[in-house]
Amino acid sequence: MESATARWTATRRALIAGLPALAATAGCSPRRDPDALTFWAISYEGDYAPHLMPAFTTATGIAVEVQTLPASAAHEKLLTAQAGGALPDVMMLYNGWVGTFAMIGALRQVPDASLVADQFPGVLQTAQYFGRDYAVPWSVAPQAQFYRTDLVERAGYASPPTDWAEWRRMAAAIKRRAPNDYVILAYLNWWDLLVTLAGLTQARPLKDRDTRGNFASPEFREALGFYKSLFDDGYAPVALSTDIQDPVAAFAQGYFAIYPSSPPIMLDFRRRTAELPPERWGVTRMPGPNGPGRVSSVSASVAVTTSSRRPDDAWALVRHLTSAASELRFQELIETMPARASAWSAPQMRQPRLAPFAEQVREPALWPAIAEWEQIQTEVQLIAERVVRGLMTLDQGVATMDREVDRILAKRRQLVEAGRIA
Amino acid sequence: MAVSGLLARRARVVALNLAVALLALAVIIPLVWMVTVSFMPRYASSAFPPPFWPTRWTWENYHELLARRLIDGAWFDYRIVPAIGNSLFVAGVSTLLGLMLTVPAGYAFAKLKFRGRERLLQLLIATLVVPGQVAMLPLFLIFKELGLVNSYAGVILPSLAGIFAILFVRQATLAIPDEMLDAARLDGAGEMRIFVSLVLPLLAPVTVTLALFMFLGSWNDFLWPLIVLADQQRYTLPVAVAAIAREHAADGELMMAASVVTTMPVLLLFLMLQRYYLRGLLGGSLKG
Amino acid sequence: MTRQERTAWAFVLPVLAIIGLVFVLPTTLAFGLSVTDYSIYALADWSNLRFVGVGNFTALLTTPLFWRALSNTALFALLGVPMAIAASLFAALLLDAEAVRWKPLWRVLLFAPYVTSVVATAVVWRFLLNERYGLINYALGWVGIAPIDWLGSPTSSIPAILLFVTWKVFGYNMVVFTAALSAVPTELMEAARLDGAGRWTRFRHVTLPSIGPTLLLAAVMSVAGFLQIFAEPYVMTLGGPAQSTTTVLYFMYDQGFKWWNLGLASAVAFVLFLLILALTIVQTRIGRRYEWL
Repeated sequence: MESATARWTATRRALIAGLPALAATAGCSPRRDPDALTFWAISYEGDYAPHLMPAFTTATGIAVEVQTLPASAAHEKLLTAQAGGALPDVMMLYNGWVGTFAMIGALRQVPDASLVADQFPGVLQTAQYFGRDYAVPWSVAPQAQFYRTDLVERAGYASPPTDWAEWRRMAAAIKRRAPNDYVILAYLNWWDLLVTLAGLTQARPLKDRDTRGNFASPEFREALGFYKSLFDDGYAPVALSTDIQDPVAAFAQGYFAIYPSSPPIMLDFRRRTAELPPERWGVTRMPGPNGPGRVSSVSASVAVTTSSRRPDDAWALVRHLTSAASELRFQELIETMPARASAWSAPQMRQPRLAPFAEQVREPALWPAIAEWEQIQTEVQLIAERVVRGLMTLDQGVATMDREVDRILAKRRQLVEAGRIA
Repeated sequence: MAVSGLLARRARVVALNLAVALLALAVIIPLVWMVTVSFMPRYASSAFPPPFWPTRWTWENYHELLARRLIDGAWFDYRIVPAIGNSLFVAGVSTLLGLMLTVPAGYAFAKLKFRGRERLLQLLIATLVVPGQVAMLPLFLIFKELGLVNSYAGVILPSLAGIFAILFVRQATLAIPDEMLDAARLDGAGEMRIFVSLVLPLLAPVTVTLALFMFLGSWNDFLWPLIVLADQQRYTLPVAVAAIAREHAADGELMMAASVVTTMPVLLLFLMLQRYYLRGLLGGSLKG
Repeated sequence: MTRQERTAWAFVLPVLAIIGLVFVLPTTLAFGLSVTDYSIYALADWSNLRFVGVGNFTALLTTPLFWRALSNTALFALLGVPMAIAASLFAALLLDAEAVRWKPLWRVLLFAPYVTSVVATAVVWRFLLNERYGLINYALGWVGIAPIDWLGSPTSSIPAILLFVTWKVFGYNMVVFTAALSAVPTELMEAARLDGAGRWTRFRHVTLPSIGPTLLLAAVMSVAGFLQIFAEPYVMTLGGPAQSTTTVLYFMYDQGFKWWNLGLASAVAFVLFLLILALTIVQTRIGRRYEWL
């Protein structure tokens, strides 16, 4: 889940800028302790997880050593660690990865139904592998459009419209006022916006029991067409994540008016109020073809590994991390949205800026829980980049996607046909 | 005529020296710039025209990079200090073991007669054509079975297969006259003794050169440590720096500090021992 | 077995054993892997492994990204080798001129980038090559060249990385060439001078033939080096934009250690090996024809 989550971390520098004292956050842990339970988390969650540990250690006497993985390399590091038998006791993973890691036998099944009680069924489903629970949802992060209130207002809108036609009219108005700036940021090497749009057109990316690509379907073509048009019309800069070095600063300077992102970006905004005062930004749901709809969310879960020699302690840690209290504390610290349903009745969740998320945490778009999904998203985005850059047409693009995805799924197809996996 | 000829030669001398100096300047500027930016306050380098000299010198980037700080009851750090330790340890052990393995082998290939020597030598030379990456994928699986993934041994072992080093030592040893060794043998000295007290002292300069090659090679190695190390606590410097670099794209000053920490130790080592290093490269033909 | 022979084996066996374990055995196994469909499913369960013959190789032939990686790599080598060798030769010729003073100092300075870590200096160069704030565009601005989006445009990304690689590696061959140049027979040079041969003629007919073998060897070694570019795109561009800096090795890393398609990745490794072998043979042939070797 490289691209979407990279956003979470690419903006970590923003946090650093706003708070020199808190500057170094790439990893935090107490001194290495052989008796400590090990916990790996990704990005902000890893940086801040030590804040959740004193309560756990006090209550149970178990010390925890936390390590942070860089989001851009987390998937491969976890796979390598599993192959080398070096996984920690407990690890965080994005929900799209649960299928992969359950399939390769890295995860223990959740032993106690009470761990997954009080979860939104739609979210819980993303932490399952063929109907069984392998991870406990920790946070939910639906994508939303963060926008510059002043720029959108000047274009004649109170907030960005949530249907494509009206959204385009707003985009045209913004672009007219500032032809050298842009309307929306969409890195060409990150797949998250395209996947969100595909969710909004209700595209089903795979077919035949998830053994073949379905990218030539009208729904996906519609999503890709809208995505491409953002660049063609000059609404989005043709840029990679390596090109724009400080997106929060660029947003604050008005280089683009709409920043599609997930809740933790609010931590960056909070840290940099000097550049971006709170009244200058707002947030609303992503625009769909006919209004808002289900969007994918890079939800995080925590799981216990099969290599853990202390599963009971490990599950105790999972229980602690995913308690409503811990999740609410994390919401305060890093703006993640709780996965526990009951946490949402807490007063802190009633802030108006959280309303767009409250509406959609229940029902994330669902993607195939298969081992190849991460690679498929990456591969599809590579082709989408070529379509946007005009190196191939949209028709060629979707045909290439189907061909490439069929190739990636060849092994799965063979195993499904042989009845070895579902 | 003679005067203008002299003038022309003068001009040529000046032009040549100037050209060399300019070239050297252009080559060294990126490294100097790396150092000056690492002392700039955060975001100071993202300006136009790009500043070359800090308006205010600060250690804040190094402090942020290297110091562990307690914030709200939790420790924060980039784990660069452990990475320095790991790099020193891995490079040190690789060098020591590498020397112990390859110097005797190189000597044996040059001076000791044993059956199959020439064929083995040819095989060794032939393997140089095979890129090491071919071996990497199965090597990972082998190390997985041996339990060496994510261990220091897993990083060090492959660096000990020093085929180049063996050939290098062999080449240097060939210069030792056979008569000298035979004389020692006639005096009744054992093979081990000959190697330790006769050959090794003669090979000392070559050994220093080789040690330097090995240390630098191991210190700068990237792909294999990236593959085989999973646990942050064991990252070597390049792996740790790459991990930070891929995330902190905008933190120019911080990244420069990380680059300085990674490059300076080996640059200094090189500057101190450059004679050995360059001489090793030239097989002793370099003067001055 | 003589005493000498016993000692010899004691000296060579340990290192040969290690070479066998970490190099010969895995290289053999790589061939085995390349004819299987080792994938993430085999990581889960060995029984999912199958023999596929040349399946991986034919699959590669129909994978556009592999061809792109091949052509990118070829471009790296085709542009990079002449660039790096020319830079090394230029610097070596400058240093060889009698009139130049403080040669050891210049030599050390010019060589310094070679000993630095690729990762660390790639980070530095990413900033030097920045479109808006980079020193390189700033310097180009002095001579009236508009800013170039070095790493952000598919057409300039390879030249940008090559600029960095050349800077990093040219010192090595510079030193090698310096040694070769100092071995050019002075009598021959004098004779040519007395015959009234100009600077270029002397370079072409005296210097070049006598350093020919060294040049060839350097070229062979450089080609292999340029075919194995990985860390530079890994740190500077993540293989983009539009996969314009995805090299064969980058592709292999992604397939192997990112997606765990070890079968396919091993096939890639073999293609890389065959490429290097073929190029080495061709270069050696050419060298023989011109009697350099």
